[in-house]
Amino acid sequence: MRTSSSLFTLGLIFFIPVAAIYAYFSNFEPVGSVGMLLLGIMSGMVGLYLRATLRKLDESPSDNPDGTIAQGAGEYGFFAPYSWWPLFLGFSAMLVFLGLAVGWWVFVIGVVCAVLSLIGWTFEYFRGDVI
Amino acid sequence: MATLTTSRPGAGVPEGRPHPKAPIGSRIVKVLTTTDHKVIGNLYFVTAMAFFAFGGLLALIIRLELFAPGLQVVENLEQFNAMFTMHGSIMLLLFATPLFAGFANALLPLQIGAPDVAFPRLNMLAYWLYLFGGLMAVSGFLVPGGAASFGWFAYAPLSNATFTPSLGGDLWLLGFGLTGFGTIMGAVNFITTIICMRAPGMTMFRMSIFSWTVLVTSILVLMAFPVLTAAFMGVIGDRLYGMHIFDPANDGPILYQHLFWFFGHPEVYIIALPFFGIVSEIFPVFSRKPIFGYKTLIFATIAIAALSVTVWAHHMYVTGQVLLPFFSIMTMLIAVPTGVKFFNWVGTLWGGSLTFETPMVWALGFLVTFLFGGLTGVILASPALDFQLSDTYFVVAHFHYTVFGTVVFAMFAGFYFWWPKLTGRMLDEKLGMIHFWLLFIGFHGTFLIQHVLGMQQMPRRYGDYLVEDHFEFMNQFSTVFALLLGLSLLPFLYNVWRTQRYAPMVTSDDPWGYGASLEWATSCPPPRHNFDSLPRIRSERPAFDLNHPEAAAYEAPAADQEVLQRLRTDDSTGGRTSTAVLDKDGDHR
Repeated sequence: MRTSSSLFTLGLIFFIPVAAIYAYFSNFEPVGSVGMLLLGIMSGMVGLYLRATLRKLDESPSDNPDGTIAQGAGEYGFFAPYSWWPLFLGFSAMLVFLGLAVGWWVFVIGVVCAVLSLIGWTFEYFRGDVI
Repeated sequence: MATLTTSRPGAGVPEGRPHPKAPIGSRIVKVLTTTDHKVIGNLYFVTAMAFFAFGGLLALIIRLELFAPGLQVVENLEQFNAMFTMHGSIMLLLFATPLFAGFANALLPLQIGAPDVAFPRLNMLAYWLYLFGGLMAVSGFLVPGGAASFGWFAYAPLSNATFTPSLGGDLWLLGFGLTGFGTIMGAVNFITTIICMRAPGMTMFRMSIFSWTVLVTSILVLMAFPVLTAAFMGVIGDRLYGMHIFDPANDGPILYQHLFWFFGHPEVYIIALPFFGIVSEIFPVFSRKPIFGYKTLIFATIAIAALSVTVWAHHMYVTGQVLLPFFSIMTMLIAVPTGVKFFNWVGTLWGGSLTFETPMVWALGFLVTFLFGGLTGVILASPALDFQLSDTYFVVAHFHYTVFGTVVFAMFAGFYFWWPKLTGRMLDEKLGMIHFWLLFIGFHGTFLIQHVLGMQQMPRRYGDYLVEDHFEFMNQFSTVFALLLGLSLLPFLYNVWRTQRYAPMVTSDDPWGYGASLEWATSCPPPRHNFDSLPRIRSERPAFDLNHPEAAAYEAPAADQEVLQRLRTDDSTGGRTSTAVLDKDGDHR
């Protein structure tokens, strides 16, 4: 994770000076100056977040050059075996966007479908867990 | 009639298919609801190839229209505008970009030793957004007024409600807004997968080059695509809700061009870098050598990605409102890491025991074609030359050499290379060669001559020209070869069908014999969660180490055993792990 953190932090080191140079010589052309500044901030944010997370975690066997496969044993994570919700949510999102071009009533139907799909997606694996 | 009682030869359960097929309905449901990255990868492949064929047909219409002066195929030039608009946008946003997602889905978890991607449902949502958004964008052909016709740049004010009021334009902008969201979600998914789900021992600097390019490309997607989506939503605001974001009265057109190309140039590298990664996987296997300069290749990838975000306005030289020296220098700088990559690829080939199977031939085709495109890129990076050539067929030739050279050649290289891993069957070599030579000759015949057309000032996007222009012969030459290029897809489709029907299943994990990255250490095709058992990972070539243990005995530069020993014993004294010490030396990670 240290390498991936450095990779992102590299963006901070690269984009901020380039943004400054560009802004100075182009008399502050708005899109590029702001854009590159934001890229720097975004890279720095991700990089520093990864670094902060790294401190809280144990050494990952995937970052250990001598890591053995057995070290990765144990609970790995949960993977949905199959799901209908991506299809429903994707279709509702299309209705929302289509509604902007075609008419408000498609948009409304789309929003309703999207809300239902989002609820279904979120609670797909939490049914019956309500305290 | 004794024959009645004997069964047909070959009846019963065929080999390699131990289970009878499930009924068609349940198989369709299984695909529609899948969260398996391999199936989603295949969905991306099929959809992207369908859009590729459609975009290719539009290209053939464009070429046929330009066969002679006057109008032959389309009824009016507005239709011609729709043709090149849809051709460009389909090829870039519905073919090349999703193809990156397809290859990344199909291979990334296999190459880093993960059971799936980090967010399987999000992965599927990204695919649906791509499919539905893409269908929305091309549905413009079915509505009155026709498809979008303002060029794939959608420059303001041409794309506003006054000049192109058609519904097709709205559908185009909104559809690509939707696919943009899908692409961003895919990128987040790949980054998380790489950061969190590598197998034990698979440190960052042991990942295959392709996995590295997926990581860097995904970061580029996060940098570029939000800008495109924002710009398109701004145009939608102008068109539908009376906003004045890109109003010419307040410098809107230049603002739009900046925003569009702030996306547009990184986009070129989003569709190039993963395909560099694909050929970087192929060259070592068919040279029987490890990749030459593994780390320089990675740093070159990172450098290209970083620089690609700082060169956007070289598409805007002729507006006369951009900082020419800055963009010219930055653009030419990109040639340096790209040159490093070429050096590495040639270095990999140099002195290797080359064999010329189809994946290797396609990868060499990529090398040749992309080199041409890169060289004309340096020419166009110079403002003085660009002022002459901008918006002529020279530019058309240049970007087809770069984009077609990387995407299509490397895509087919990847298909022929990984087909056994994706489907369990090898594609036919002979048909593959016919396919390659048809496409290679067709491509270079179509586009090489367009450099000359451009130098004689034939402008791009024109549906017609005069007899006095003397463009006719060169356009006819280009069109004839374009038809050959179009035909070249047929041997491939026949090959796919024939392979699925008649080719035997591959029995070994590594049918090419010298596979290096981890996907060659699992069965063809892999089981649902990819690996029955993972091999030990001690280098960037874990599958090669597994399948060729004898290679460890060959003469090779070895680490100093004494230093290694010292590093490994240190941790018992200082209470630090050995990795932390290794890390301090800048090694391995």
